[in-house]
Amino acid sequence: MLSIWRISWRNMTQNKKRLFFTLLAMVLGTAFVTSMLIADKTTDDVFDYYEQMYVANADYWVLSDDYTFPEDLISPILNEPIVSNSLLALDKQAFFELADDRSLSQRAVRITGVSDQSSPLLTLPVIEGKLDNEGLIVPEPVAELLGKGVGDTIQFTGMGEAKISAIVEYTQLLASPSNWERAESTSFRVLAPLSLLREWTGKQDKISYMRFQVEGDGTELFNTFQQNFQGTSTYIEPVVADDLQSNDIGGLYTFFYLIAGLSIFISGFIVFNMIYTSVIERKKEFAIMKSLGYTQSSVSKLVLIEMTLLAFIGTAIGVPLGIWLGDLFMKALLGVFEFDMVYTMNWEMPSLIGVLIGLLFPIVFSLFPIYYAGKTSILLTMKMADRTTSTSKRHYVKAFFGVVLLLLGTIDHPVSYAAIIAGAILLFPYLLKGLSALMKPVFVTFYKYPGTLASRNVTRQLNRNGNTAAILAIGIAVILLLSAVVESAPRGIDNDIRSTYGGNMRVKSEAPWLAEDMEKILSYSGVTNVEPLAEATPITWETIEGQMRQFSVLAVRENGPSLYTHGQEKDIMNRLRQNPSVLLGERAFAEWGGTIGESIVLNTPNGKKSFEVIGVGKTSHYAGYVAFMDALVMNDVFGWANSFDLLLSVDKEPYDTIRDQLWTDFSSHLSKVETVEDEIQSTTSAISGMNELLFVMLVLVVGLASIGTANTLLMNTLERVSELGTMRALGFTKRQVRNMILAEGLLIGLTGILGGLATGILLIYLTSKSQLMDGFLSFQLPYSDMLLAIVAGVFLSLVAAWISSKSASKMDIQTLLKEG
Amino acid sequence: MIEVSNLQKEFLNGQESTQVLKGVNLNIEEGEFIAIMGPSGSGKSTLLQLLGGLDVPTKGEIEIDHTPIHAMKEKERTVFRRKNMGFVFQNYQLLPNLTVEENIAFPLHADGKLTKENIEWIHELTRSVGLEGLNDKRVNLLSGGQQQRVAIARALANHPTVLLADEPTGNLDRARAEEILVLLSTFHRKNKQTIVMVTHDIFAAGFADRIILFKDGIIDQVISREDSDYAKYLANFMA
Repeated sequence: MLSIWRISWRNMTQNKKRLFFTLLAMVLGTAFVTSMLIADKTTDDVFDYYEQMYVANADYWVLSDDYTFPEDLISPILNEPIVSNSLLALDKQAFFELADDRSLSQRAVRITGVSDQSSPLLTLPVIEGKLDNEGLIVPEPVAELLGKGVGDTIQFTGMGEAKISAIVEYTQLLASPSNWERAESTSFRVLAPLSLLREWTGKQDKISYMRFQVEGDGTELFNTFQQNFQGTSTYIEPVVADDLQSNDIGGLYTFFYLIAGLSIFISGFIVFNMIYTSVIERKKEFAIMKSLGYTQSSVSKLVLIEMTLLAFIGTAIGVPLGIWLGDLFMKALLGVFEFDMVYTMNWEMPSLIGVLIGLLFPIVFSLFPIYYAGKTSILLTMKMADRTTSTSKRHYVKAFFGVVLLLLGTIDHPVSYAAIIAGAILLFPYLLKGLSALMKPVFVTFYKYPGTLASRNVTRQLNRNGNTAAILAIGIAVILLLSAVVESAPRGIDNDIRSTYGGNMRVKSEAPWLAEDMEKILSYSGVTNVEPLAEATPITWETIEGQMRQFSVLAVRENGPSLYTHGQEKDIMNRLRQNPSVLLGERAFAEWGGTIGESIVLNTPNGKKSFEVIGVGKTSHYAGYVAFMDALVMNDVFGWANSFDLLLSVDKEPYDTIRDQLWTDFSSHLSKVETVEDEIQSTTSAISGMNELLFVMLVLVVGLASIGTANTLLMNTLERVSELGTMRALGFTKRQVRNMILAEGLLIGLTGILGGLATGILLIYLTSKSQLMDGFLSFQLPYSDMLLAIVAGVFLSLVAAWISSKSASKMDIQTLLKEG
Repeated sequence: MIEVSNLQKEFLNGQESTQVLKGVNLNIEEGEFIAIMGPSGSGKSTLLQLLGGLDVPTKGEIEIDHTPIHAMKEKERTVFRRKNMGFVFQNYQLLPNLTVEENIAFPLHADGKLTKENIEWIHELTRSVGLEGLNDKRVNLLSGGQQQRVAIARALANHPTVLLADEPTGNLDRARAEEILVLLSTFHRKNKQTIVMVTHDIFAAGFADRIILFKDGIIDQVISREDSDYAKYLANFMA
């Protein structure tokens, strides 16, 4: 009995090389997508893990806009029966007493004294030692940098000394620099017993914050104390695990998803090419089937089963490969962080989605050939040669639409990118035709007569060869655009930060800045302006969908430093002063999910308050995950009075003298001195690793596109084995045949590369002119990537062509003649 | 001219081997027109392929103009074929992407010797096969008879020592077949062109000087035009 599955399997395996290349493309496409999904979900988990570790089991916390507050204030909360656990903490800036010659800024350390080191409200992954509430808890990088171990003593200038009782893994609570260079702008962090820190500082009844856990629903308690704390310097906030303020990894994944999408598109095209050619080759077979009574749907079904089989095999190999790639990718991605991040692969759901994509995309891309197979006309197929012909009218229409789409691409709209790519695909066959004519003399010089034949042969299957080149081109163009963005990003970020930083230096203190402090700083040589900056943090709020989030609210003043950019800044300032309103940063606005004019509800120190969102500002502060409020409104309505930050404008570098002077003059309460350069460097350092990653991606995408080239050339070769046999019979040597096919591959590759470079440059140009990008991308060509695209494109096209040429030259003449 | 001695060819199909030629001895004189006939699988096409250097014998020797082609390496055979052999195939085997003239000139292109004289020779060949005016036409737009004329012209382009034709009229109707045979015969007579033709068709074989009948991989019978019963033999065969 006939088994349709067995027949499909036989059909598929008839041409093993073609099957191999098609499967390879499917496997890689599925693997890329799966790995990206896994990496995305795992990264989310990693950041969530560290965020959860930071918040531990706490439900609420009590803080103050005075930095510290009397412990008595929280007694009523601790007396509440539903409060099951609590943790008191006091932060104090100090300096390591070191034998080496280190600057004050390098020795700066923030000691957090906690009431119970083993509290369930603290998660401290101990590497060595124990949490004994007697000694210091030090993160591993700090212990390594200081060369200290458990039991060793650490001295703090002017305070005292204590032994290290435990060394712990990275946690957000103890995030510290891992080298002395970074220590210049970032303080170390260690934990100490609260009693010990109080003893050292004399702040016997003071705490910086108190976290607590409740049994059951704490809403009523929260509302009561939110009410009770109104008008005081203390306020209560729910503990929210929201890492958006500290990382912008989502933007990175947009890049990688784009590349994964591109891989699926390229793989899909290879599948389409393969199945379409197979259908054309087998038109006679389908015609016979139909003449014997098979219906259109049963013929289509046969091809569909072949694709389903192939999709199953591709998925079965692609998904496990994707899991492995995802792991590699995670290692590479997390390797850029200063500390060793631990992660557990989140592979279940991404793999399931990978399976669905792996099964569906080959079928989606082969829908047209499947339909076309069923539509085979018995009479026409029996009568005519099984070759498709394109009328010149169809060519003109295609070229016309190609040009129209390219022109549409000049409109400043995100859809324009799709229009340009679609236009380029339509025009590629003509580019190939033009280029083959143009390159003919060069090919004749290098390859003699086989070169002439090659330049003609590529125009025989013009659409197929043109599309193959187009796929390579799109791969190159998209990667070039991404590279240009990555290369331009540091400059764009530099501009963004400088224009919204609010000065050149930001100085943070544990105590509110006084007028005399500012006067003193203003008298420093090189300091031209000093502005106070009030930052209320953490402030919790709800998204439109009801999710709790937290960010910082920054105070702005009419004549103060500009912390954001907005088209109508003056108008925005006026409106911020009038009603209780806020201006949101771009990411905060996107996360909130509302529209301008709607109100956002914030848990302010003065209780729950509604603020009208009057606009979206572009800012570098917390990568846009922030809100801005008029300083007066912030004081009166919001309930935040103090400024712990100062923004300094400095007219000459280096900043080191000023930094040292600040640490010397305000060592009792200074907690951080950061320059605009520090901020730029820390923001752009993550991007510098991106370019290398894009280099790898570029080679992978070109490699994938070259599988398409290999597949196309193989199909072209197999379709004309009889011709190759004739050539060989008439005296063409194997080398001449090989050269001809190599030249064909090179022509397709060159068209793809040149077209890709041209499309890429066009995309970069239009993006640089786009209002949507707001001048973020300058028209700057990524020369190194362009060079790599040329080298990788030529090399991989030659490799692809070599595979086909080898197959052709290996076959003996009788077989070639017979197969024809 | 062509000397074949104890020619044997064995094909392996997995574990099984099939001996297609079982020791063929044959001499063909310069300027002779030979027709090889025989039932399917008798080895006639294999002999033609071995004579053309498209394949190598398992055993035995082939000398063309005292050149032992059976001992040649692949590349030497290709170059020998390019310079000394002309092929005409049953299904024409033209290169569809090339024009009439380009197809005819193909063997000279392969040799990289398209001189002014050669171009003139190609034009002359085009005229002589009756395709004048069609020089720049794509071959896939021609009729079957015209395509086979192109194939004959191409086979003669390199002034071959031997023209090997494998069922040259197999795809043509009688009228077109006769035109092709007349054409071959004309070249044979006018230019003393040596022709070895494999055919199933006794009408086609009738144009040859000698008919060699193959059976089970060996030569069963040789009938020469000089033989007294040649005409009778043909008549009987046709009947």
